[in-house]
Amino acid sequence: MASDDMHVTGTLVWYYYICQRQVWLMAHQVNPDEDNPSIDLGRFLHEHVYEREKKEISLPGMRLDVLSEKDGRLVVGEIKKSMRGEKSARMQLLFYLDELDRAGVSAVGELRFPEQRKRERVTLDEASHTELDRARRDIFRIMYLSEPPAPEKIRYCRGCGYAELCWS
Amino acid sequence: MKRTFYLFSNGELKRKDNTIYFETENGEKRFLPVEDISEIMAFGEVSLNKRLLEFLSQSEIIVHYFNYYGYYMGTFYPREHMNSGYMTLRQAEHYLDDSKRLDLAKRFVKGAADNMLRVVKYYEKREKDISNVREEIERRRADISDCDNGETLMAIEGNVRNTYYEAFDAIVGQPAFAFESRTRRPPRNYMNTLISFGNSMMYSVVLSQIYRTHLDPRIGYLHATNFRRFTLNLDVAEIFKPIIVDRIIFTLLGRRQLSENDFVKGTEGVVMKENARKMFVEEFDQKLQTTQNYKSLNRQVSYRHLIRLELYKLEKHLMGEKQYDPYVAAW
Amino acid sequence: MFVILVYDIKQVRVTKVLKKCREYLYWVQNSVFEGEITGAGLKKLKMELGHIMHPEEDSVIIYNLRTTKYYSREIMGVEKGGMDQII
Repeated sequence: MASDDMHVTGTLVWYYYICQRQVWLMAHQVNPDEDNPSIDLGRFLHEHVYEREKKEISLPGMRLDVLSEKDGRLVVGEIKKSMRGEKSARMQLLFYLDELDRAGVSAVGELRFPEQRKRERVTLDEASHTELDRARRDIFRIMYLSEPPAPEKIRYCRGCGYAELCWS
Repeated sequence: MKRTFYLFSNGELKRKDNTIYFETENGEKRFLPVEDISEIMAFGEVSLNKRLLEFLSQSEIIVHYFNYYGYYMGTFYPREHMNSGYMTLRQAEHYLDDSKRLDLAKRFVKGAADNMLRVVKYYEKREKDISNVREEIERRRADISDCDNGETLMAIEGNVRNTYYEAFDAIVGQPAFAFESRTRRPPRNYMNTLISFGNSMMYSVVLSQIYRTHLDPRIGYLHATNFRRFTLNLDVAEIFKPIIVDRIIFTLLGRRQLSENDFVKGTEGVVMKENARKMFVEEFDQKLQTTQNYKSLNRQVSYRHLIRLELYKLEKHLMGEKQYDPYVAAW
Repeated sequence: MFVILVYDIKQVRVTKVLKKCREYLYWVQNSVFEGEITGAGLKKLKMELGHIMHPEEDSVIIYNLRTTKYYSREIMGVEKGGMDQII
């Protein structure tokens, strides 16, 4: 059960490196619980932080949080609430850089953790490019499964907006 | 969880700055923090405007209206914010496929019967002479799994419920509150008025929880979707009515908090006076806040939360992940 | 968690702070709010207040009660605000 317009998005890449079940649920628009405090805070941060330079740009499969320019190069910023899932955040940002690269735009990335007042540089290289290709194929495989992958208890379950669905 | 507000006073509900403001006709002014509201139940004459509706919609706050007599009138159900085309299709599939639909309907009937049994057993332990009722429900409940069509299921459901109601007089033991027979629209005696009022509260509360999930409240399984607006909430409410509504009625009567003086008889049947309604609502809200341990989540959850979890279980049934097994009270 | 929030804000900004607090908590009396709030809710409120107030002139104090189990509340004189759910 999947529709024709299913495509890999940055958000799915982020989920992919945390929990594959989330990928499936997200791809089927079964969204996480909005009453969940961390989802609520995440939405709020998106709407309120970095208001000055906020230029959220939507391209197919991408919702770029912040765009700026430094030394003649495009800088893509991705805002995250916490350092947990840092790898996921990096892969998501690399995915955007890779997509832009395919469109002929060379850019660098910057991960931002406003609550920790931290920023981290991310650049695309050959190894991450190969890893993203593998991830893209695997995400497609998951999206087309007829049922969601079974829930697994992992450390991210705590505070996850799907925990109640998974463990009810 | 965010709170429910029950508006009994007449007045004007409006958006003021970025929050909700209620000014009663007696001049009482109250700001209701928008971040702390999940639903509003309006019993009084509440006037509002489109600007407020827009704000409620944006804040994902649902409003239920009850008329002057306390009967449910309708709901302001803001535009779906959790819409999943996938889930809607699954819901429709389980409705259109007769065997899938019957299977789900049976699960609701069985869950309701199990919880009625819990209530009966609870009062049996408190020396109420109702063992014959329990045995009869147990017998009829056994027919559910063999049943192979909707009409028979509805008949079994009706029989179980009627048997269950036979225990009410023994549990309450107050002639003024005799059950007699079930009468609706309008209810004709005190007990029926209490049941109707409590049930409509229950339907609203379940509907509010459905709004916070991916489910479409218009597609129900036990209650026919004969073009009524909401039916799924009626199905799910069946599970909770005995253990929430009926228990509240027994508690209030047991504590002698309600008497004949709390009702008026009129052309609209027997209706509760406002103070009695307020008392019921207060008890109801407190009941929904009481918590119990939920093993697989390993934490305390309230009854209101338990309703949400029940809906998630239903979603998993629809997704083909895990068959729906209704909640049964542990007490 | 249950919080009690009190503020002392310069006249020019006090209305903004008052309005912001009304979105999250219940007004008790002048410059005092209280209410049940989630950790995330409190973070949001603090961030929003942080944008409005001037830290060198204004002051906000938040008393945080993890539970209201051992708390009692006594009112002398008039009860001005309230957090009743049944109105």
